Amino acid sequence: MLKESWPTFQDLVAWNVEFPVEIDKMNDYERVTYSKKYQPAFLAPPFGKLPLRHRKTAPVLRKQAEKAGAKIMDRITVTDLLKQDGQVVGAIGFPAESYDLYIFKAKATVISGGNSCFRSPGYHTSMLTGDADGMAYRAGAEITGKEFPDTHFNLANYPAWKSNAELYPAYFYFTDAEGKYIEHSGMDLSMAFTVHAGKGPVLYDLDAATPEDVASMQEYIRKRANPVEVERIGLDVSRGGKYQVIGGSAAGYSDPQTSGIWVIDTKGTTSLPGLYAAGDCCGTRACGAIHTAGGWGLAGAAVTGKRAGAGAAEYALQAEKPVIDEEELARLKKIVYVPAERKGGFSPRWVTQLLQNTMTPYFILYIKHGERLQAALTIVEFLRDHLVPKLMVKDAHELRLAHETKNMVFNAEMMLRSSLFRTESRGVHYREDYPRRDDPPWLAWTKIKEEQGRMKLLKEPVPKEWWPDLSKPYKERYDLRFPGESVE
Amino acid sequence: MSIERIDPELCTGCGICVNSCPMDVIRMDEEGEKAIIKYPEDCMCCDYCEYDCPVDAIYVSPEKYAPLMISWC
Repeated sequence: MLKESWPTFQDLVAWNVEFPVEIDKMNDYERVTYSKKYQPAFLAPPFGKLPLRHRKTAPVLRKQAEKAGAKIMDRITVTDLLKQDGQVVGAIGFPAESYDLYIFKAKATVISGGNSCFRSPGYHTSMLTGDADGMAYRAGAEITGKEFPDTHFNLANYPAWKSNAELYPAYFYFTDAEGKYIEHSGMDLSMAFTVHAGKGPVLYDLDAATPEDVASMQEYIRKRANPVEVERIGLDVSRGGKYQVIGGSAAGYSDPQTSGIWVIDTKGTTSLPGLYAAGDCCGTRACGAIHTAGGWGLAGAAVTGKRAGAGAAEYALQAEKPVIDEEELARLKKIVYVPAERKGGFSPRWVTQLLQNTMTPYFILYIKHGERLQAALTIVEFLRDHLVPKLMVKDAHELRLAHETKNMVFNAEMMLRSSLFRTESRGVHYREDYPRRDDPPWLAWTKIKEEQGRMKLLKEPVPKEWWPDLSKPYKERYDLRFPGESVE
Repeated sequence: MSIERIDPELCTGCGICVNSCPMDVIRMDEEGEKAIIKYPEDCMCCDYCEYDCPVDAIYVSPEKYAPLMISWC
């Protein structure tokens, strides 16, 4: 993935995308990280170097696509994939401002619906509601890696504002309530462990920054962050201070490409003929059980997008003209508009709020235990069976919210079931009742598949050539420790 | 309160912010002349609209409040 991200990036350069960073002039070390002291290998080159507010790529990509003959349609909510004789032959949806139905017929379909979250604050992922996973699952695809949550956090004073995310690649220094530095290995569960031990609040400790750290942060803000983001909340890194940190900024989100639609090759081919996956919803498993590095999502999206596009084109060249099953189309069309036709029921925003309250607490999503997972699952099943079918909307904007709410509830169920299924701890999946890695039984990926209307959990072994050296004692095999873990 | 204002005096009605908003918070007014904040409760403070606006007509506040938890809605 990393290797191929470089030529993909060079494509963007060749198409005259403006980048404020001069990638070619960086030495190898700078390509990897800004923060030499605290966060080695934090940023995946070259995409990790891009400003978080870089808005200059998409317009160029659109022009390139149009030049190649593509027709781009914006602001359409796609609700489901269309199938005929076991093959995906397109999708249906509706526009932002009306109840019109759009039917897309396709010899091959690339799904790139992004990651998932529960409209959590602070990481700007509220539009990513697990729609791709939901659509693909309902069409019969397999979903993987839902037990590995993303662990983004934010500053408590403005939890919805992406503020410390602008800074922490340059200065990743957090302390507990007693002022002790929190040992970590990147985007792991160390803050959740601290809070669970009663040692919160977690503090972003700028008082501990050296003059070099401050200079590094200032350089980072200038080159990569958006200074307005930092200034607007009155954060002046040169003044120091201790800022309380909150968790769950991307609750419901998973590590990019660790979770998503199971792909069977490097062309984004899914288990469903005619369906290809790209971007965060593409379950390449390249990232593994813990967040690898900043920029990974963008690098992965660029590479899988290129690969899936080529894979889908190859497939389309030999595919028959798509034929839409009218009966199936009528069934899906009915599903699209149910919330708009209801006279009574529940608001999608309220059901989303219930889901957030159920899933976001640290002791459900990050510090797991079988009993709590089961309790949360009971609530989520109630939302799924009793509230989601009765969602009611008053316009097309809310109709989108209704479909997104359905997919968020679905995503929560997948996260809980995968977490219950993996009876061990690994990476960012931590079970208090199984606080140790279980090799070799869990040198495996989880997969979820629909079977007779229920989620069936499957285990897919990791190839033996990727296994750790099992002849090494456990303690030496893994250096990241979990609370309560026996290393003997 | 997340997206706080779109200055009608400055807005040229170009519609860029409508397409920038991933949450469909902004729409054009009935005459199609000015951008308006239609669904403020769904703003996620991403700031894309403000960033993309060519005439600096938009201001997004870093503050956002969640609704109270109630028994049904």
